Amino acid sequence: MTMEETRKLFHKDLSEVHQELVRVAAGIVESIPRCTTILLEQDLTGAETMILADDDVDRRTHELEQRCIQILALQAPVASDLRQVVAALKMCAELERSGDLVVNICKAARRIYGHDFDPRLRGLVVKMSEQARQLFSEATSSYATGDAARAAAIDDMDAFLDDLQRQFIQAVLESHSAGRIDLQVAIQLAVVARFYERLGDHAVNIGEKVRFEITGWLPEHSGADRFRQRRSEGTTSHPAGGESA
Amino acid sequence: MMDTRVTVKSQDGVEGMDPNNATETAPVFRTRDLAVYYGDFRAVRDVNIEIRGQDITAFIGPSGCGKSTVLRCFDRMNDLSPSARVDGTVEYHGIDLYGKDVDAVEVRRRVGMVFQKPNPVPKSIYDNLAFGPRLNGIKKKAELDEIVESSLKRAALWDEVKDRLKASAMGLSGGQQQRLCIARCIAVKPDVILMDEPCSALDPIATARIEDLMQEIKQDFTIIIVTHNMQQAARVSDRTAFFTTEVNPESDRRTGVLVEFDDTQKIFSNPGDDRTEAYVTGRFG
Repeated sequence: MTMEETRKLFHKDLSEVHQELVRVAAGIVESIPRCTTILLEQDLTGAETMILADDDVDRRTHELEQRCIQILALQAPVASDLRQVVAALKMCAELERSGDLVVNICKAARRIYGHDFDPRLRGLVVKMSEQARQLFSEATSSYATGDAARAAAIDDMDAFLDDLQRQFIQAVLESHSAGRIDLQVAIQLAVVARFYERLGDHAVNIGEKVRFEITGWLPEHSGADRFRQRRSEGTTSHPAGGESA
Repeated sequence: MMDTRVTVKSQDGVEGMDPNNATETAPVFRTRDLAVYYGDFRAVRDVNIEIRGQDITAFIGPSGCGKSTVLRCFDRMNDLSPSARVDGTVEYHGIDLYGKDVDAVEVRRRVGMVFQKPNPVPKSIYDNLAFGPRLNGIKKKAELDEIVESSLKRAALWDEVKDRLKASAMGLSGGQQQRLCIARCIAVKPDVILMDEPCSALDPIATARIEDLMQEIKQDFTIIIVTHNMQQAARVSDRTAFFTTEVNPESDRRTGVLVEFDDTQKIFSNPGDDRTEAYVTGRFG
């Protein structure tokens, strides 16, 4: 047996998919503070540019998805190769959706154009943005370097962003009650907070994909656990009464 | 277990030998520190493996890793090669397969083998099937007819050959010949069927038929298959054993070793040993 790598082209293909995903993810990391600046500075031109730029994220993730399907069809990958392709496919979906969230923040910026909001809210937006960027940056780095331990830490970091979002919603309500912002702006800001929070969730999901790719670990879904628990106790109240959860 | 020969000869199942009497947890085969030598060349060493009943077990690994050599220990085919010597133990339902009182011919009746190249005897389809049962003393035509028909049906060949049972088996296609060989194996009602690269001479359709057939008969037989086709191992087997070769730096000779034995799903999605990972993904070295 010669100790030489076989299937070199296939493995080159896999590493190209990986690198391209890292590039797309790094682009999202950069776009998070950019969309925040656009929101705070009411930069309509910038918003337009960002919205158009997302089409390129869509194109790239779509092409990557096609490439993964081709690899599955033609190469029948197994073991770490299989996990790499499955993780990449799921990454495509996470990144595509994350790009959309950045666009959503830019669209919200257009909707509140001409309305000012107070420094406390502005400060919290910057904090949420920075936290979301940091989460996404961690997720991207752990994917780029294949660091499962680093990926596992992202979930804990996300709690801080969730907390910021709650603070922000509270501040928006107070600001509205005090008559500093009108209802239209309050609603847009609340939705924006939700977009940052969702960006954090996608970063957590990417961390899970990294852990799966490296170790084969799958997240324990607490809902699935609860369902199994109820079923074993015979208290399942699902209308279909069985497997269809 | 004093008179093993009688035990092995017995058709009506003395405890420990009859698969029907085996407890559910008892493995069909268990090897302990199995090593096989050809002359002074050690082909494979330290194989400890348990083969469960009603499972399809696949042996994979590069050429020279000892997978076929280990397979041949299970029906004592290595006895037929004068320079071969087997060290360690092979138990079959708890009986020492290489015990001095064990009759190798009886072992081969219970443990059938299907080879890489289909090897029908140059006789009629019917005679190929009736050969084994006749050897076992079955003479009545009606009884032989029944065995021929049911074996061909089990091997999914009956519909294709029922109108030409007296025709030569050599006129069948390669895939049909291989299914005939499996039917011939089934005809003597073995406990285990060993398959050594059974599809490597067949086209993809014939290969798929054999694979379907394996799934259909696995309830009744313990199947061990040696294959170079990793995807075949992934498709058909419940458990997979990965063997590889180790080079002795002094003699520059290669010896086969068992690296990992686990559920097939595990071997092909998240193997436990780096050498398995390297082999199944094609990343050597």
